[in-house]
Amino acid sequence: MAVPRLLRAAAPRLYSSVPAPVPAPAAARPRAVDDKLLSEPLSHPDFFNVKELFSLKDLFDARVHLGHKKGCRHRFMEPYIFGCRLDQDIIDLDQTMQHLQLALNFTAHIAYRKGIILFISRKRQFCHLIESTARECGEYAHTRYWQGGLLTNAHIQFGSGVRLPDLLIFLSSLNNVFEPHVAIRDAAKMNIPTVGVVDTNCNPCLITYPIPGNDDSPAAMELYCKLFRMTIIRAKDKRRQNEVFDELRSKAEGN
Amino acid sequence: MAAAPPQPRPVRLRPPRAGDLGVARVKVHAVPSTRTAMAAPSWGLAAARAGVRLRLPAVRRCGGAPAAGAPDAGTLPQQTEERPGTGTAATGPRQVPSEKSESFASMLRRSPLIQMGPAKDKIAIGRIFHVVEDDLYIDFGGKFHCVCKRPEADGKKYQRGTRVRLRLLDLELTSRFLGATTDTTLLEADAVLLGLVESKQTKQKE
Repeated sequence: MAVPRLLRAAAPRLYSSVPAPVPAPAAARPRAVDDKLLSEPLSHPDFFNVKELFSLKDLFDARVHLGHKKGCRHRFMEPYIFGCRLDQDIIDLDQTMQHLQLALNFTAHIAYRKGIILFISRKRQFCHLIESTARECGEYAHTRYWQGGLLTNAHIQFGSGVRLPDLLIFLSSLNNVFEPHVAIRDAAKMNIPTVGVVDTNCNPCLITYPIPGNDDSPAAMELYCKLFRMTIIRAKDKRRQNEVFDELRSKAEGN
Repeated sequence: MAAAPPQPRPVRLRPPRAGDLGVARVKVHAVPSTRTAMAAPSWGLAAARAGVRLRLPAVRRCGGAPAAGAPDAGTLPQQTEERPGTGTAATGPRQVPSEKSESFASMLRRSPLIQMGPAKDKIAIGRIFHVVEDDLYIDFGGKFHCVCKRPEADGKKYQRGTRVRLRLLDLELTSRFLGATTDTTLLEADAVLLGLVESKQTKQKE
């Protein structure tokens, strides 16, 4: 099974997530600078400027506004639907822009704070694309059959001291039998925030940052993968840059 | 999506209403959604009935993105004006279709999918993106691809990247079965393969 290898591969990041004695932190840096490093991005509404990564035209050309037929519509997706044209639902891209900006901003903050991100999708057509996207950003992906207790029973299935993901990104929130993916409910149980692309036949309820949009066309999936990859890489680079600045500053103050 | 050359249509310069787009308004059930514009339709309708055209720039702002309101203000009046969908004369701003400020409604109205109308028996050009022995997976610009059998004539010419002519039948194959609450979808479109795209080069060679 790929998942335990994936989670354990990040050896430097493993630490006890159960209330157990925390190993003595080797923090030579003073607390004030640490706080500034983490609190400075929170003061801006769009610190990582994720808005410039996409435009309405990009979403439109990638066919993000195309939904399923009227008969497949989920009742809770109705606020996000612009209208219905000859029985095909059209998703409102103005709302999608807002939701996508919020979701990308949140993902960037999680990546900045060195959180573990797990990409999930059960669409066989795009599983290779998602796995390579995850590999390129240095994060994780799970595009195979989801065993029942992966999140809720982790300490028994993987042994104690396993760190769970800090964010789940659903590039398609349904499984192979058109039911909501089990991980959405499990993440809500484990207090893990979720970002998810919801099509017109999906249930957006338990997803923290839903992105109403098409999850069936290759063009749309490539766009989402590109946006998430750019956001995560940008946030990680920013973190590295800030840490280097802090080190230089503390050295200068020390001298 | 490249449809057959359409007849030149008269250009309408007033902002599109829901009726123009041929897009039916979806009846929204009373779901308490605090994020999106649940307030906007009732404001817009009330304004239309009163015969007053209100500008409501702040209504559609999400709770979490207060600073994002300013660049969206250009598209918001467009949204609130088309929400009523009643017969009031449109005195709003004319939409100049420049790259920067074209609204979603305007882009949608001009898109080939809407201009095409019903998909039944329309000719489209697609591109083969995957081949599995005799099955050709063809993408013609819709939400889904279609799968066609390799024809006997010129069978070897149908490879990945080949452009082909199709007669579309349906954009998505769905059906409601007995006892089901929602439609079952095949995640595929339906089309008849007519043949290869005959470019000028192939015609000249012959």
